[in-house]
Amino acid sequence: MKQKTDVLQGTLALMVLKTLDVLGPLHGYGIARRIEQISGDLLAVNQGTLYPVLLKLEQEGAIASEWGASENNRRARFYRLTKEGRKQLQVEAQDWQQTTAIIGRFFEVKAEDLS
Amino acid sequence: MKSMRRFLSRLVSFATRRQADQRLKEEIEEHIALQTAENLRAGLSPVEARRQAMLKFGGVEAMKQDYRAERGLVLIENLLGDLRTALRTIGRMPGLAAVITLSLAIGIGVNTTIFSWIQLILFEPIPAVSGAARFLLVEPLTETGGYPGASWLEYRDLQTRVPALRDIVASQMMPFNVGEPGQTERIFGQLVSGNYFSALALKPATGRFIRPEEAERPGTEPVLVISYDYWQTRFRGAPGVVGQRLRVNGRELAIIGVAPRDFQGTLPPLKFELWAPATLAPALLGGTRDLEDRGIRAFSLLGMLKPGATREEAQAELSTAMLQLARDYPEASAGVGGEILPFWSSPRGPQRLLISGLAILQGVMLLLLLAVCGNTANLMLARGSTRQREMAVRVALGAGRWRIVSLVLSENMLLAFFGASLGAVLAVWGTTALRVAPMIGAFPILFQTGVDAVSLAFTMSLGVACGLIFSAAPVVHLARLDPQEGLRSSSNTAPRSRARKILMGLEVGVAMVVLIAAAIFLQSFRSARQTDPRFRPEGVLLAAYDLSGRNPDAASEREFAARLLERLRSLPDVEAAAIATNVPLDLHGIPARPFTVQGRVRSEAGQDRAISNTVTPGYFKVIGIPLLKGTDFAGMEDRNAPAQAIVNEEFVRRYLNGADAIGRLMQTRARSFVIIGVARNSVYDAFGESAQPAVYLSYRDLPASQGEIHLRVRGGNESALAPEARAVLRDLDPMLPLYDVRTFSQHIERNLYLRRIPARMFAVLGPLLLGLAAIGIYAVVSYAVSKRTKEIGLRLAFGATSGGVVLQIIRENLGVISAGAAIGWVVALAISVRAGAKSGVNLPVFIAVPALLLGLATLACWIPARRASRIDPMAALRHE
Repeated sequence: MKQKTDVLQGTLALMVLKTLDVLGPLHGYGIARRIEQISGDLLAVNQGTLYPVLLKLEQEGAIASEWGASENNRRARFYRLTKEGRKQLQVEAQDWQQTTAIIGRFFEVKAEDLS
Repeated sequence: MKSMRRFLSRLVSFATRRQADQRLKEEIEEHIALQTAENLRAGLSPVEARRQAMLKFGGVEAMKQDYRAERGLVLIENLLGDLRTALRTIGRMPGLAAVITLSLAIGIGVNTTIFSWIQLILFEPIPAVSGAARFLLVEPLTETGGYPGASWLEYRDLQTRVPALRDIVASQMMPFNVGEPGQTERIFGQLVSGNYFSALALKPATGRFIRPEEAERPGTEPVLVISYDYWQTRFRGAPGVVGQRLRVNGRELAIIGVAPRDFQGTLPPLKFELWAPATLAPALLGGTRDLEDRGIRAFSLLGMLKPGATREEAQAELSTAMLQLARDYPEASAGVGGEILPFWSSPRGPQRLLISGLAILQGVMLLLLLAVCGNTANLMLARGSTRQREMAVRVALGAGRWRIVSLVLSENMLLAFFGASLGAVLAVWGTTALRVAPMIGAFPILFQTGVDAVSLAFTMSLGVACGLIFSAAPVVHLARLDPQEGLRSSSNTAPRSRARKILMGLEVGVAMVVLIAAAIFLQSFRSARQTDPRFRPEGVLLAAYDLSGRNPDAASEREFAARLLERLRSLPDVEAAAIATNVPLDLHGIPARPFTVQGRVRSEAGQDRAISNTVTPGYFKVIGIPLLKGTDFAGMEDRNAPAQAIVNEEFVRRYLNGADAIGRLMQTRARSFVIIGVARNSVYDAFGESAQPAVYLSYRDLPASQGEIHLRVRGGNESALAPEARAVLRDLDPMLPLYDVRTFSQHIERNLYLRRIPARMFAVLGPLLLGLAAIGIYAVVSYAVSKRTKEIGLRLAFGATSGGVVLQIIRENLGVISAGAAIGWVVALAISVRAGAKSGVNLPVFIAVPALLLGLATLACWIPARRASRIDPMAALRHE
């Protein structure tokens, strides 16, 4: 059960970084909406899981946050990507592409290819 | 790097966790508000819109948990939470907590006190000198195994001949008469070698220390170093003390410096106030030949190993050097070898004796502490079983095993910590009390015990160890708990713990032995005080003088005593006066002398011995011992009479079979004496002792440089004689102080005080063990009873009376208790018989103590038993 969260958190973190990279500063709900729109069901049930990830990223220094006013004029926490976060995103995006490429190749391999 | 940064920010957010909680709450609210607005736009009803928003957000609490886990230091947060819970739990059981804390505190406090004493002797043997444990003693050793000390010339030789040691220092203890004529006081000091202070690496509190060249040739610089205490009391800490002069044994010495605060010399626990160069010995001691005569072995030597050298090397070098010296100076050194000893095993102090005694005491006290832990474990188990439900609920709600264990542990550790802290306070009090040791005889003694970082660490590790020990059982018990089982019933029939009952029996047995010992001790002590000493101490004043600083010969010693007595007897208030070398009922006892006597043939090997006191004529009149036969000693100035002896009744009975003693010859190692009288038996060493053979010799034949003056007052108060006696001695010799002035009653009291110490220890230990045993019994019984609530409820439901239930519980437990008590009783009886109780077995004690103990045990059973019998049977059954 723990590992599942880890994987989810890992991918979620990357999604958050990419979202902030593309759309600029956003509040938690905004990020959740965007990820939901793109990813479909992944966050549909548990939007709340986003917040621990945000905290972790903030602690790592990949994102920063400050209070601001939301669209309906309420106090909301806005997250933005830091310079370090941008670097992290680049590295992780590369890693991710590499990983998916490798995994993809693995799935393409058939038994007879190895013999 | 990243993890470090994360850790730091976690640390920060741990500190600001309240703020962070608030922030999360706001974010969640905002998130849900936005989602609700979105849902409203999508056409849902307000209520449904909010419900959908909440659903979509997911479990808020679980998320919060994740968030918190992400945010802070879970471990510490949990720990703090546990501690808070533990504090609350402990607060709900103040009585139990107090009992546990107090018994732990006493156990830990006593152990720490003993430990700090051992630590002082082993690791800090010379106060104010750091690393003094590394000092080694260099002791000449005679063939018979005695340690006679080193002569000055021997010291000078050994300094160069034992290269494995650096800076060997020499010191000799010496009572000095300090002060102007007519107002001298007796103060102990040390004559030291020139490298004494530099080798000890001491820094003067003010001024400087003795330089090596000041102790090079005999009669060099008349300089003096004084102790910090002496500086404070005598000179009120005046900074101008350096350069002032002090008259010591009639010589003016210049004070050159003050020793550091706690320094008390190199013969602990003796406390010295003055240090003078050893080369002053002839000047201070009436021309003694200490510095030239290899036969005068007055110095003790100590040194430290050179870096890289071993004790074995030093020992080998010393043996070689001593062999050479024995060859070169056979008349003084033949047969004298040498031994390198660690400082704590000094043959000259009480350390060696103390260490073994203290080690045993420490062992006993650690066992006692273990018993306390056992008690505590039982108490906690008894309570734990009532908390089984609580724990089961916790487990059912998802608490992990470790969380339960950590909860129980933190409760117990907190209790242990309280106990250890209070124990440390007790130890501080105990070690301070040890410092205030009374003067033993005329020697000033100081143990500089204290609770330092090391003993504090010892205290706390004891606390932790105790906590772990008494946590073990409840933790194992609770960690094995099955939540379903725990919720369903709390009366799973516990295995009747044999260990618990054995512990209970053991405690009772030990308590029995100690209590009986204490009672016998106290009673014999009290009855001894009421026994007749067979002499008359009332109305007698005692005072001591010491001519040894003058280096006198026998003739001058005899003459001085005669003149002194003559003056004292002429005082109008003095009825009779005498001088003796020993005083009965002294702490260190009166020495016994080996002898042979005419008309006695020993059947077995060995030597006859008798207590021996050397007294002047008139002694028997002063002290009130009647002479049954014969006459008193010849006068001090009589040159014609042969050497004389007076023996006591027991001497005649034991060695002469009651035959007439008068006129027989008695031979000691040195010379022969003719017996001229028989004195009545009296008490010599202790009240209540059996009759001992004694022989009195005459001061005329064996004069001594030290003497105890005995003065019997002519009516009125004997203490009023003190100033007159002082005046007489001042007249006779203005530089000689009268010391240790006390009435005979005070003398007896002072020595009883020290003899009372073991009695007091028993008196404290006895009730302590009694209390421990009672707590132990209470703990075991209440645990057992708590396990049997259902059974008891059933019995009551089937018509058993509560009285019957109580009786049954008591009967069950009293079996083990009685067994333990019986064993203890037999052991105590055996000890008492072996110790040779001459008045037979002390029956009242052997009946009263078991009665008391069993009574208390019954009470300790009765309290939990009655509580159990009072439960409502219906409630008990339903509750299960």
